[in-house]
Amino acid sequence: MNTAAWLVLLLPLLSAVLIGLGVFRSRIASAAISVGAVVGSFLLTLLLIAAGGELHPSVIWLAIEGLQIDIGLQIDNLSKLMLCVVTGVGGLIHFFSLGYMKEDRDFSRYFAFLSIFIFSMLGIVLADNFVMMFIFWELVGVSSYLLIGFWFEKPSAADAAKKAFLTNRIGDFGFLIGILMVWAAMGSINFDAIESKLATGTAAITGLAGFLIFCGAMGKSAQAPLHVWLPDAMEGPTPVSALIHAATMVAAGVYMLCRLFFLIEGTWAMEAIAWIGGLTSLLAALMAVQQDDIKRILAYSTLSQLGYMVMAVGLGSPDAAMFHLTTHASFKALLFLGAGSVIVALHHEQDIWKMGGLRERMPKTYWTFLIGTMALCGVPLFSGFFSKEAILDVALENNILLFLVAVFVALLTTFYMTRLFVVAFMGEPRSSHAEHAKESPAVMTVPLMVLAVPSVIAGYFNAHALNPLVLAASLVVLVFGTLVANTLYSGAKEDPLPARLGRLAKALRNRFWFDEVYQWFIDKVQENLAKLADAIDRWVIAGLLVRGAHGTTELAGRVLRLAQTGNLQTYAFWFAAGMAVLLFFTLN
Amino acid sequence: MDWLLIIVLLPLLAAAAVGFIPDSQRRMIRGITIGASGLSLLCALIAFCTFKVGSGLQFETKVVWVESLGLHFHLAADGINIGIILMGAIVSFAAACCADDITHRVKEFHVLLNLMIGGILGTFASMDLFFFYFFHELALVPTFIMIGVWGRGANRNYATYKITLYLSLGALLALIGLIGVYVQTGAESFSIPDLIATVQESPIDESAQQWIFPLLMFGFGILVSLWPFHTWAPLGYGAAPTATAMLHAGVLKKFGLYGIIRVAIPMAPVGAQSWLGVLAWLALANLLFCGLVAVRQKDLNLLIGNSSVAHMGFIFLGIASLNVIGLTGAVLVMIAHGLLAALAFGLSGHLYRQTGSLDMSRMGGLLRQMPLAGSALLMVLLAGCGLPGFANFAGEVTIFFGAWAAGLKVVTVIAAWSALVIGGLYMMRAIRNILHGPRGDDWAKASDVSPLIATALGLLLAALLVFGFAPWLLTEGIKGEVTKSVLLPKPSAVAGQIQTTEVAGR
Amino acid sequence: MMEPTLSQYLLVSGALFAIGLLGVIVRRNLLIIYMSLELMLNAANVALVAMSRFNGNLDGQVMVFFIITVAAAEVSVGLALIVALYRKRQTADVEDLATMKL
Repeated sequence: MNTAAWLVLLLPLLSAVLIGLGVFRSRIASAAISVGAVVGSFLLTLLLIAAGGELHPSVIWLAIEGLQIDIGLQIDNLSKLMLCVVTGVGGLIHFFSLGYMKEDRDFSRYFAFLSIFIFSMLGIVLADNFVMMFIFWELVGVSSYLLIGFWFEKPSAADAAKKAFLTNRIGDFGFLIGILMVWAAMGSINFDAIESKLATGTAAITGLAGFLIFCGAMGKSAQAPLHVWLPDAMEGPTPVSALIHAATMVAAGVYMLCRLFFLIEGTWAMEAIAWIGGLTSLLAALMAVQQDDIKRILAYSTLSQLGYMVMAVGLGSPDAAMFHLTTHASFKALLFLGAGSVIVALHHEQDIWKMGGLRERMPKTYWTFLIGTMALCGVPLFSGFFSKEAILDVALENNILLFLVAVFVALLTTFYMTRLFVVAFMGEPRSSHAEHAKESPAVMTVPLMVLAVPSVIAGYFNAHALNPLVLAASLVVLVFGTLVANTLYSGAKEDPLPARLGRLAKALRNRFWFDEVYQWFIDKVQENLAKLADAIDRWVIAGLLVRGAHGTTELAGRVLRLAQTGNLQTYAFWFAAGMAVLLFFTLN
Repeated sequence: MDWLLIIVLLPLLAAAAVGFIPDSQRRMIRGITIGASGLSLLCALIAFCTFKVGSGLQFETKVVWVESLGLHFHLAADGINIGIILMGAIVSFAAACCADDITHRVKEFHVLLNLMIGGILGTFASMDLFFFYFFHELALVPTFIMIGVWGRGANRNYATYKITLYLSLGALLALIGLIGVYVQTGAESFSIPDLIATVQESPIDESAQQWIFPLLMFGFGILVSLWPFHTWAPLGYGAAPTATAMLHAGVLKKFGLYGIIRVAIPMAPVGAQSWLGVLAWLALANLLFCGLVAVRQKDLNLLIGNSSVAHMGFIFLGIASLNVIGLTGAVLVMIAHGLLAALAFGLSGHLYRQTGSLDMSRMGGLLRQMPLAGSALLMVLLAGCGLPGFANFAGEVTIFFGAWAAGLKVVTVIAAWSALVIGGLYMMRAIRNILHGPRGDDWAKASDVSPLIATALGLLLAALLVFGFAPWLLTEGIKGEVTKSVLLPKPSAVAGQIQTTEVAGR
Repeated sequence: MMEPTLSQYLLVSGALFAIGLLGVIVRRNLLIIYMSLELMLNAANVALVAMSRFNGNLDGQVMVFFIITVAAAEVSVGLALIVALYRKRQTADVEDLATMKL
């Protein structure tokens, strides 16, 4: 079993190495290797689940007295669930990519990067200690960077990749400091060891350490104020958006919080996490209302749902968060892949106002997209309904203010998803591309149908008694949101909201000017700091000090040279005079 | 087998051999250099693989040279320098492969190159202070000549002056410190193990340590571009020929760090204690200040040079933490940075040959234009901002742990910020400007690396990845040696321990 | 007749030395400078002989013999140099011999 566990992790790495080392010349071989690796990991995961029990194989990576860093695999129920999500959704997206990326000349490179991503993501899921998690945390960051910037010749893609990496780095900075604090307080970095120490009360941890660790999650799961990279990340290929920026990587932060719940439990960090989550879900849902790019709407929706999950952890229910994570992974991947199918059919048109009438032209995509939308909006009996209900439950129990926020977010979710659906799929086509759209090939629609299954049924695995108040609230917002959006957008040629809301719509469209403020900060503060350092380096150190020392030496040389007349007799005179003076003083 | 002797002698013999070949036989000259350094590398690899961790000095060669002064020609390997020697041999081989951009006075260049390689490998293999210093000078003098004669750019004369003066000053200060050590210990030998044995018996007078340590720290520090004595480095590397920059930035520069770890700390532990606060803040200046300066650079070589200076900050921070974790991390980063710097300068040398310019604002899209060199550069820049999987990360994270354990918390926090965010910033910008985006106009005819250079650079990358995935290959040896011969157990502490055990026994 | 005292001898020696030094400093002709130099050397000899006599041992006198011998050798070399220089440059004036000056 241990071998199987190691293989789950290493198969994708092996695939990336093989493709990188030369198979890349053959498109078929590289795709086969990559798909084979992820499918292999999926099957091994099923094997591990079937075998049951917990495993914990580990090897030493580095050990210096007092600091032991292992590469260890923690296989328990939490990681098994996540393994299933990653390899399952990942596998389907690999298949989908076969169709989506068919025309791309860097087909092999794409699959190599996907394999690296799966490897890194599995590393996070399986990590049994902080440093290993940090290692794979960074690796996931870089594979996301590589995939966002996959079409690197496009300046916007290259910029988006850079932005994603750097924003994540800010979060990782907090994560690293948090790790150092935990290690200093606990003397260990292994989750098990720390948990048992905390449980027995032999050591305590401050809220600050927990919060800093959460900073890492803030970067990866794109929580405010580090959320700005995720919408831009939609520059990557759509399957990548589905895999990384909807289903798996962005959920890594939530997964980490669930894994490390013992660390933050009972500290003030919980409160902070809950509020940041709630705020993020609210902001993102508001911004989603006024976006026109189909992928960006879904990206903001992802942000908002991630905020839900983070809030659930902060409110003390990692179970609800993991539940929502799982259901969200399937229906959001479905929605993204559906969007991808639409985008390919429309020759890479992403503006929803240039779509319309796709219902008849792309029936399979239409139906699966509808299922995904219903799941996301929380229509009863779909998976999203149960998991959202669980989170609302927790909120109602613990924090009434956040409960209201969550309900309002649910309303907004219904609104913007209905808007997206009505504008893109219903009505009349608004462009020639939309007019001539054709259903995507089977390699793309089959994954959609497969994903539609868990989007419907995943909720039943964890269904529990419903709170009538919560149920009533969510049904009311569901109906209300759908009706309002339907009236506003049914048959609309353009968005009526800007005219009605005025400045508010502008603020939403501009995403509350987060990017502008950050840009200003980078330009004014960071850039000027760098300019200052450069100026000091150039003018003070290299100029004043170094050239100064050089100049002083040269000046002294010039002055002293005046005494060197080159005349022997002058020297003799000075010599004699010197002797005379010396004699005078010694004899007196 | 005396592997070390072979490793050191081969390049020196090659230097002599190249001297007898007429300048017209360029292929043969290059072949001899590459062959000699390749054989050295092979021997170094064998030595590294057969090295037994934890069993003292190995592969020893010890010949009495001047008995009355206690000078020995003493080569030996222990946990600390075996990794550095392997790294040096890899970089030397790669540099020899990348030396084909020299087109005039090829013979002279290769004589100097071989001398430099021999000197470098000898420095790190020597266990005798005299030869340690001698080999360093043997490698340093060719550096100056190579930059002056074969260098590039309008600034090369100024750069040569600057690098010569700085490094001579540093070496001089260090020499005074070393003589101070020799005189103050009263040992009859220049051999490092003997000196260590002597100070364990009777440590150097504490007031003497207070001036010996700063002399060594600043002397060696200048050689490693310790802030604010760093301005020679970017300038010098920008002007140096490819092979020289690879060897100096990669390996020779580490002499100073090696000296601090090997000599300064064990000889003057009390001095070290009182000066390490200063060193920690200077290390931070290296990291933060030079990182910010790197953000502003437009020229790739200046960027690499400045980031290389910034990376030295990690090593100084590791040294300043003065515990096993930090020092082990410092040695790890020394090795990782050597490979990384050599790769970076090898690649920038290749780019320079294409258009004669390294202006990043005119580059772009090179990942498509030259897939091999582009991917390698991508990995180098990512490794440079501390990506896990490369050896640099293992060392850096170890240093952070060490510094945190030593209580340098503020410094560690700012250092982590510089490493993760500022380091990420300039590396990402470099990738964006050089590799991503549409292709720069001047680069339409640029070609990818030749197979020979690709092999050399591939070797460096492979080493970086191997040590990144399995840092224990290095740390196992380093940590034992650090506890044994760098952080000497204090006689009083040992006595105290005995006392407490006695009390406990009662 | 009164025996001269040590200080009188030393005064003579000092005067000779001063005259020689003055010659070295002010004269421009190489030959004369050279002769002045000899004068200074002999001033030292006088002092040594006087000391030797008043101390009652022969050390100083032995020293003087050495000096005379070495001086003889030195004079021959020096004169040869001056002659060679004169032949080459047609001058023995130090003002004109300044090619080494910057």
